[in-house]
Amino acid sequence: MINSTHWRTTVLASTIVFAASAGYSETFRWASTTDPQTMDPHAVNSTPVLSFLNNIYEGLVRRDRDMAIEGSLAESWEPLEGENGWRFNLRQGVTFANGATFNAEDVLFSYERASNEVADVRSWFAPVSEVRVVDDYTVDFITAAPNPLFPDSIANFMILDKDWAETNDAALPARDSENFATMNVNGTGPFTLQSRDPGVQTILVPNAQWWGEVEHNVTEAIFTPIGNSATGLAALLSGEIDFIQPIPLQDAAQVEERDGFKVLEGEETRVIMFGFGHEHDQLLYSTDVTDVNPFQDVRVRQAAAHAIDMDAIDRVIFRGKIEAASQLVPEGISGYSEPNATRLEYDPERAKALLAEAGYPDGFSFGLKCTNDRYINDEALCRAAASMFAAVGLNAELSTGPVRDYWPQLREDDFDMYLLGWSPGTFDMEHPIRFLLHSQDDEKNLGSWNFGNYANARVDELLPMVQEEIDPTARQAMIDEIVSITQDEVAYVPLYTQPLIWAAKNEVDLTQRADNFFILRWVTIN
Amino acid sequence: MAYFILKRLVQSIFVMLAVAFLAFSLFRFVGDPVSQMTGVETSVQDQEQLREELGLNDPFLVQFYRFTADMVQGDFGFSYRTRQPVSEMIASRIPATLELGLVALMISLIVGIPAGVYTALRPRGIATQAILMTTLVGVSIPTFVIGIVLIFLFGVQLGWLPTFGRSGTVDLGGWSTSFLTLDGWRSLILPAVTLGVYQLTLTMRLVRAEMMEVMRSDFIRFAIARGIPFRSLYYRHALANTMVPVITIIGLQFGGVIAFSIVTESVFQWPGMGLLFLESIRFVDIPVMGVYLVVIAFFFVLVNMLVDMLYLLIDPRLRVKEAV
Repeated sequence: MINSTHWRTTVLASTIVFAASAGYSETFRWASTTDPQTMDPHAVNSTPVLSFLNNIYEGLVRRDRDMAIEGSLAESWEPLEGENGWRFNLRQGVTFANGATFNAEDVLFSYERASNEVADVRSWFAPVSEVRVVDDYTVDFITAAPNPLFPDSIANFMILDKDWAETNDAALPARDSENFATMNVNGTGPFTLQSRDPGVQTILVPNAQWWGEVEHNVTEAIFTPIGNSATGLAALLSGEIDFIQPIPLQDAAQVEERDGFKVLEGEETRVIMFGFGHEHDQLLYSTDVTDVNPFQDVRVRQAAAHAIDMDAIDRVIFRGKIEAASQLVPEGISGYSEPNATRLEYDPERAKALLAEAGYPDGFSFGLKCTNDRYINDEALCRAAASMFAAVGLNAELSTGPVRDYWPQLREDDFDMYLLGWSPGTFDMEHPIRFLLHSQDDEKNLGSWNFGNYANARVDELLPMVQEEIDPTARQAMIDEIVSITQDEVAYVPLYTQPLIWAAKNEVDLTQRADNFFILRWVTIN
Repeated sequence: MAYFILKRLVQSIFVMLAVAFLAFSLFRFVGDPVSQMTGVETSVQDQEQLREELGLNDPFLVQFYRFTADMVQGDFGFSYRTRQPVSEMIASRIPATLELGLVALMISLIVGIPAGVYTALRPRGIATQAILMTTLVGVSIPTFVIGIVLIFLFGVQLGWLPTFGRSGTVDLGGWSTSFLTLDGWRSLILPAVTLGVYQLTLTMRLVRAEMMEVMRSDFIRFAIARGIPFRSLYYRHALANTMVPVITIIGLQFGGVIAFSIVTESVFQWPGMGLLFLESIRFVDIPVMGVYLVVIAFFFVLVNMLVDMLYLLIDPRLRVKEAV
């Protein structure tokens, strides 16, 4: 009798322990400022969409916590011998959430879908000339030239089930209307969609079929977009949500001071910089110099760089949370140029001297364009920079506006100097060289964000070589040369790496990745 | 009556066309939808092609004609942002806004009318002065500040009420209502109070002014002289005469509450039409913005028409005029 009671107690106790350690029925609620526009992985190439869908769909490769590439639906990959391209050996025994088996046909289908002209992600496949299915679990991606970075560049290429997409009339992404894949999913990833109410609430549940080892203890994840940052903060502090990304810099202290909450700080891979109208023959917004464009003189651009006091900006506007940048990518990104890691120092006297040398001893006025809703504290940054410029004689006429009409203005060459932030989608220096430093070439989709059309023949010549070079040392040498040229010419004035600031309840463990992606399978609730 | 309604309906079509035209001419300055719809790596040519497909390169009048013609045929188009049909988006958001507006209006009436009557009848009382002072403060603080203060007080500090969203809704054949569950009411209270405060002040001050005016009029004096009991005097004779202008304003207020719930909906992440409109502006979602403005214009027209019909019911003199 005594034994029996004892036995029952033990069972009861162990059941409780088991329930607690298994983290039984953990609902995780999180919020972000932007709702993913669609559930279609090939329709919009933007962080909110790709970040969210990485929990549902998977690619051949994926990025780990430190942004390194690791296998996902491909177990291994190697360069092809005898021709340019890569062979991917696929994982066997993977099924989609609807039970269908994953194989090479799905990869080929997804490639065709994602590289179609109505797909917004097609630029990932620009180097690919052909995709061949070797057998059910082997696929070759043939590239027109050697392409050492190809596996890195397709980390967000997500794979759909061919039959599912074709049966549901979703064989192509819908660009300006809805199709089945806009609101429904069928991925191989760790989570799947339970319900979707765009702009209101999206619920994910674990995919019981997932092939990987489960590290999280979430049984249901509820996502709510909250556009207003004060509302988001209140929702966290009142306990209604467990995690929010991002929170405004100025609210970080308030969260840290409260019991039960924590702030996760990191650095995004985004570098904030000023750009010039290199190609413009005259200033548009000047009151004193209208016949020429002084920014075409490298000494004037150097003066602008020397005028910026990054320590003061860090202290006053960013509360010590930013890291000054010397080039268009932050340290740690592949291709970062170690020999060019110093930035032009703050030296107002030198700036004045350079301006005088260039023929502007009293300085001149010009127009500076900035966003006020795109980057963290962008407007405050520009105000501070404008007063620093003014101190050396560069009288910036600042105009700020929302990002929705900012890009069209820059595309129409309506600026003298402008603010830009850039995050390399491939996490390699080649990306900003291609989009920001190569001269504009619409045919080849080069220099499409090089608004001022900075052009240097050597840079243009080196880019294709960088793209094709297999030997890492030789490749780095070419990148170093490009960075050195563009630093000497002050193609841009790199300012700093933008901080990432997330907030969560103390009992939530999660991983902040430098691409600002939020990966649900790394969440545990204690 | 039928003629009156018909006349108003014809007028309202012109009003809505005018609103659509104005809205459409403004959209040219909102920004570029294509750069919001595509990622950074999209080539300039692909962007241009998308712009062509969406008809954004067509002349303004062609775009406007297409929008109006589609609307008339019941085709509201697709959202640039979510790619959903706009009609579905608006329809799913209407219940949230209407219920919020209705409760806010109720708060403003249930509190505002009695407070107005009270302060009119005891113009010099201490309570009157206190009420007037409080409501003056209420009307001078911007709506979003009131909302944030309420959130921090009742949501964050006290933890009594939810701070965002609309929970506990029940689906009644396509209409999702907050009225049937406790959760629904809990999430409705703060935004409704926020939205109602301004209206409450207006209602109260209007009722008070009208009531004081009526109390000074000859027929009330004669009624007092005839010895009619005060209760009947105040509530039957005086208040009834006060209500005609009050109903006008309340009607217009309801239109205003619906149209300007944008701020409240944004502060509380209330998934109504106002929030949808705000998100649409951010993403230059022109089809949604266009349909929203036309729907709002329709509400205003409808409410005004109802107000006019109420006039006819309340004030017999107007009925005579209309008959002639």
